[in-house]
Amino acid sequence: MTMPSANIVKKCSPDFLLIDNEVKSISKSKEVLILSSIDAWNSLDWTKKYFDGKPKGGYFIWVKKQIDFPLSTCVNIASLKVKQDLQNLMVIEKGIKAKANVVCSSLKNNLSGTHKARGKLILKEGASLEYNHVHKWGSMDNVFPDYEFILEKGSSLDYNYSNMFPPKELNIKNKIICGNNSSVNLSISVNGIDSDIKIKEEVLLNGKGSQAISKLKLVGRKNSNIIAESSIIAKEKSKGHIDCQSLMIDNKSKISSIPLLVCENKDAQITHEASIGRVSEEQLNYLRARGLTEKQAIDLIVSGFLKA
Amino acid sequence: MSLLEIKNLVVENNGKTILNGVDLKIKAGEVFALLGPNASGKSTLAKTVMGLPEYKIKKGEIILKGKDIKKLALEKRVKEGIALVFQNPPALQGIKLEKLLDLISKKRSEYEEKHSNLLERDVNVNFSGGEKKISELMQVLALNPDLMILDEIDSGLDIKKREEVVNIIKERVKNGMSVLIITHQGEILEQINPNRVGVIIDGKIICESTDFRKVLKSIKENDYAKCKHCKKM
Repeated sequence: MTMPSANIVKKCSPDFLLIDNEVKSISKSKEVLILSSIDAWNSLDWTKKYFDGKPKGGYFIWVKKQIDFPLSTCVNIASLKVKQDLQNLMVIEKGIKAKANVVCSSLKNNLSGTHKARGKLILKEGASLEYNHVHKWGSMDNVFPDYEFILEKGSSLDYNYSNMFPPKELNIKNKIICGNNSSVNLSISVNGIDSDIKIKEEVLLNGKGSQAISKLKLVGRKNSNIIAESSIIAKEKSKGHIDCQSLMIDNKSKISSIPLLVCENKDAQITHEASIGRVSEEQLNYLRARGLTEKQAIDLIVSGFLKA
Repeated sequence: MSLLEIKNLVVENNGKTILNGVDLKIKAGEVFALLGPNASGKSTLAKTVMGLPEYKIKKGEIILKGKDIKKLALEKRVKEGIALVFQNPPALQGIKLEKLLDLISKKRSEYEEKHSNLLERDVNVNFSGGEKKISELMQVLALNPDLMILDEIDSGLDIKKREEVVNIIKERVKNGMSVLIITHQGEILEQINPNRVGVIIDGKIICESTDFRKVLKSIKENDYAKCKHCKKM
């Protein structure tokens, strides 16, 4: 698993571009149908069962044939006090391997925007998806992503979420439903800086032979309050592991790391590990001995922690 | 005038006195080799001069280019011209060597190009002993210090790599850099040919000489026992 690079933000020339609440561009190709969620609702009846009522905004991406390029979407807040209420739907057809770079960001630090995004990703039988999700927010934004991933038989998902520039309030909900022999690798990295952060992640190992690895990396600094609940529920013979690692930078922050394992099958094997540590004095002094200031050294250690 | 002058330095670590009245002078462009048995205070001296905060100076002075630096923070000492090759550098997960070198200096050296295979790797993560030393040297050369402190740079290096490291050190010395080299091995001293050598025992430099071979011979024949009885060789 790799953490999505912040360079994705810089290099964004997306297949779907939304600024504030206006769709600015949508690319076209034979293999992939991309529409606004509103247009998908109006033109494709079968999509209605996946939406939670008529959408007000967001994207619909349907990967129908194999593609040899990464998909990309950019959802930006560019104006003051914008409220986004989006529903995103992505469907990857049977046996297709795809990669998506998804960026949601504020273009300035002080826009006080609200980004609410409900998403559903359907991976059909044997499909695989690398989904790199980068968030970059202003310090006054409020952000509520709520995603559900449905993994059909034999499909696989690599989900990498990175948030190095957190908003004032971040409330992430992820639910992953795993079918037979499907697998998911989840990696969530959040750098809490003066933020109120709630993460609720739930993996349902519903299928025989399904597998899940969930890796959370959290950093608490400058009055951050982070509550991270990560659970795996094994209903069938399956394997799962939760790894929650956190780093505390100061005494004004608080991290609550709550791994939860629920087993409903005697042949399932699920484990977890969790740790909350502090910056190593040895590493800090080593970097200072290379001329870095204490702040530079801590920033570097934090970025290394979140990337590793 | 000396580049570095240490006067009557007394240093504690975890409440225990490690250095007990060290005196040392190193001139500009001079190579000073420091020898001593295990736990004699060699690495403590190196880290104290560098300014690592766990080493508490109880008494004495550390004067660099005429200025007492003992109250200067670690990173400020780097700016004043001191750099240390660590004996056991820590592993830095997720931090590429290239990224660290970029933060140290924008200038790239030929030495970095020669070992570019290390640049994309996380600093000291799964590095061999020799790779750690090369990485250390890359970082310290990027700082271009006036005084380079080498704490057992020769451990873990094969003959070829040691020769390469020696050539780099010699070239820098030729350009005016001073070196304090801490070692257990005679081989690197034969190659570097230090101007002076000192022996530290029980936290005190008890002998100094311009003839490193004579000192090495004495240590080889009598361990450090004879050093305890000699003032100056």
